[in-house]
Amino acid sequence: MPTPPFEGKGKRPADEIPEPGRYATARGFCLTSAFWMIVAASAGLLGATELIAPDLPGSLAWLSFGRIRPVHINLVLFGFVTPGLLGAAFYYVPRLLRTELFSERLGRLTVLAWNGALVAIVVSLCMGYTQGREYAEPVWPIDVLVVGAFGLIFFNLALTVKNREEPLLYVSIWYVLAAVILTAVTYALGNVIWRPDSGALSGIPDAILLWFYGHNVFGLLLTPLSAGVAYYVIPRACRAPLYSHTLSLLGFWSLLVIYTHIGTHHLLQVPVPTWLKVIAVTDSVAMVIPVMAFLINIWYTARGRLGEIHADIGAKFVFTGTVMYFFVSIQGSMMSLPQVQRVTHFNNWVVGHAHVGVLGFAGMIAIGGLYAVLPKISGRPLFSRFLADLQYWLILIGVTGFTVVLTVAGLIQGNAWLNGETVYRVLGEIHMYYIVRAGLGLMVFSAALIGMYNMARTLFPRKGGAP
Amino acid sequence: MKMTPAGVTFGSIAVLAAVVFVVVVLPYADTQKTRPSEIVRRRTPEEALGRRLYMENGCVYCHSQSIRAFDWGMGAQRVAKAGDYVLDRPILLGSARTGPDLSQEGGEHPDDWHRAHFVNPRFTRPLSIMPPFSFLAEKEASHLIRYVQSLGMKAADRRMARQKRWKAASVEAYEAGPAANVAWLHDQIPAGWRAVPNPYPTSEAGLARGRKIYQDFCLGCHSPIGDGMGPAQPFLYPPPLNFTILKGRGISGGILYYQIMNGITGTAMPYFKKDLESEKIWEVGDYVAVTFIGQSDADTAPKGIDAAYEP
Ligand code: HEC
Ligand code: HEC
Ligand code: HEM
Ligand code: HEM
Repeated sequence: MPTPPFEGKGKRPADEIPEPGRYATARGFCLTSAFWMIVAASAGLLGATELIAPDLPGSLAWLSFGRIRPVHINLVLFGFVTPGLLGAAFYYVPRLLRTELFSERLGRLTVLAWNGALVAIVVSLCMGYTQGREYAEPVWPIDVLVVGAFGLIFFNLALTVKNREEPLLYVSIWYVLAAVILTAVTYALGNVIWRPDSGALSGIPDAILLWFYGHNVFGLLLTPLSAGVAYYVIPRACRAPLYSHTLSLLGFWSLLVIYTHIGTHHLLQVPVPTWLKVIAVTDSVAMVIPVMAFLINIWYTARGRLGEIHADIGAKFVFTGTVMYFFVSIQGSMMSLPQVQRVTHFNNWVVGHAHVGVLGFAGMIAIGGLYAVLPKISGRPLFSRFLADLQYWLILIGVTGFTVVLTVAGLIQGNAWLNGETVYRVLGEIHMYYIVRAGLGLMVFSAALIGMYNMARTLFPRKGGAP
Repeated sequence: MKMTPAGVTFGSIAVLAAVVFVVVVLPYADTQKTRPSEIVRRRTPEEALGRRLYMENGCVYCHSQSIRAFDWGMGAQRVAKAGDYVLDRPILLGSARTGPDLSQEGGEHPDDWHRAHFVNPRFTRPLSIMPPFSFLAEKEASHLIRYVQSLGMKAADRRMARQKRWKAASVEAYEAGPAANVAWLHDQIPAGWRAVPNPYPTSEAGLARGRKIYQDFCLGCHSPIGDGMGPAQPFLYPPPLNFTILKGRGISGGILYYQIMNGITGTAMPYFKKDLESEKIWEVGDYVAVTFIGQSDADTAPKGIDAAYEP
């Protein structure tokens, strides 16, 4: 070690046409991600439009902002980003271990269950069935389905690891295994799965548990899965060995230890025990350790090889995602300081941060992972590099623009409130930023459509169009 | 360090278990001892059903239920305590203030204000971006109102008692006819205020500003022509005042100012002292006086030293 992730040295895997049925799971998750990105983005776009034209949904309850917003969030997290990252993982885990996936049939079943859960989430939230807790909305039967799906994924991957030919476990594999098993646990905990009727505790402990879980959706699911993809795609695109095994180890273990401690930074202005806030703030600043260990490792691997990254569309997306990770983390550490949070909490600043994190970092890396593995699982080159580049720019401009306008709107809100102005008075001041946000959302939505088209034409070349 | 599958899996589970112990179990033990605060009471069945609707319709994504110490700048009266939430399952703190905090909403407005507001928030708040909830059935809407009116629990109950008391009085006055109603309304105002004319002269700029404020705050009830027939009118009782009936009935700048600043508890007329600074209240008052009542005492005696900017 460090292990260069050039699986099957010599012959380039892209030249092989995989036998039918191989990578069915990876394919399934790739399509899941591309499809649900469209639905998720349209929900976001609808929500954004309703903040400008609140009477738009009329008396259609299921389109009301309060129901569309959780649909948007659940779909971006579990419909678009997570499946995208898993799609890449189901390709690279067997490749890195020089074996086959333990069971493609089980994998297909998982994809099916996963999509079933997503449909159930959309339908139930639109109908108003919810546990009413942000990031833990889905009702109990769906919770069970999701935990079950994570369980199946872990089982499939763990047995693949067991059957491996390659003795060494590459760092990407650590991240995937940990992300999947730990999320199964924290999802069950956070959704209070032992209380099917309410899915909640009472009072302040409920808030603490909820944000422990809510933060771990980013910390123990999106971040490690994204790191796994980055560790796979970047060295491969650069044809360079990973910079440092020690940094891989440091990044991995410190992520698990530190990220899990900081959920309470969502509750700094609420009466929770002070010692817990101190832990959350301290460790939020300490997040610089796992973040920089990972980033230095990736960036030094790519050092002097940005040309290769630029040439490879998958790596281009992934690398951009790592830059976004830098920004979102620095911003996040700042936002955890109580003095800063006096201005930023409760307003659009946080929504800006959320989009840099979930779309700019994890979403960009998910799309990059898809483009990196698509030619491999289909045995064909990407249908159109031009469309992929177009998608890249639409998302990059979209998410950067989101950050700018939402941050400005957040500053206006936060400072006006501190100045004693009421929420109602400030609505008019941020209206214009809501309009720009919706416009930028249209770009992200178009990017989702383009991505789906490009993927469909790559995977189903003769039929064309939608799958 | 060699990473084996078992090392990765069990190592990470062990880390998670340790962390859960520190940041979930210990705080749980710590906060379990929280005693209910002085305002806590049980919810009635209707309030509990309303709370369900609050969750189902995602009110929590736009409204916090937690007042922070430094929200005093926004006029908050009471800062949240851990003991306020002991009965809440789940707790509905919220993470955004797209709309105002609601933890002490109970009794801020009478029920009829909420009814109009839920049918379409633009009826009572012309610039609102809150979604309309006209899809709620009659019964659901009243459950939701019961819940909103219970926010703040015992403190809300005290405010609700005040709303009910003045609701009865204002309805009685309204039913006694316009002259009696106006007399009753003005009787409630401290005499000193009644005698004060608007200290600032009517000006084109002042009227333009008053008009803008009228459009952003008053239009949905009092209507663009000031006759009280705005879109909220069908839901409100007593209905919004028709300003034209004030002519020749002893109206003064001071009365207008006081009513706009303080609101008329019991009626849907809200107080605007948090939303509008003093100058704006004078200006919207003068706009109402000049435009709808057709009679303004602006800049008449008794008056003090003219303000420096006056022409
Ligand atoms: C899109 C975000 C949004 C959603 C969802 C939303 N509101 Fe609002 N709400 C607002 C805004 C903005 C205001 C301020 C303007 C106004 O009074 O309409 C407001 C004001 C209010 C007020 C008046 C507060 C006051 O005294 O001035 C109440 C009560 C209220 N909302 C209750 C609810 C309830 C109950 C729900 C769910 C059924 C809900 N809101 C859903 C945005 C929202
Ligand atoms: C939600 C509806 C509503 C809104 C909004 C509203 N009002 Fe009123 N207003 C009323 C009602 C109802 C009354 C009292 C009717 C009664 O008791 O007969 C009233 C009474 C008044 C009075 C009392 C007059 C008097 O002589 O005592 C004034 C002045 C007034 N409104 C001005 C305003 C102004 C200015 C605004 C905007 C800044 C405004 N109102 C916004 C509903 C509203
Ligand atoms: C060092 C790393 C990070 C730190 C210290 C951090 C810190 C924070 C803080 C303090 C908040 C709460 C803000 C508030 O409510 O006032 C927040 C919210 C949020 N963060 Fe981060 N963040 C980090 C990285 C990330 C990453 C990588 C992602 C995405 C993958 C992310 C996604 C989010 C989201 C979605 C929210 C919004 C939660 C809500 O709904 O209120 N963050 N973050
Ligand atoms: C079509 C483009 C999009 C638009 C218009 C959009 C719009 C929105 C809106 C209106 C909200 C609610 C904010 C509020 O309550 O004030 C939101 C929240 C959120 N969106 Fe998007 N979104 C889009 C795409 C995405 C994508 C692609 C992702 C992630 C991959 C994403 C992640 C999130 C997250 C995590 C939140 C929660 C923020 C928080 O709680 O603070 N969005 N978005």
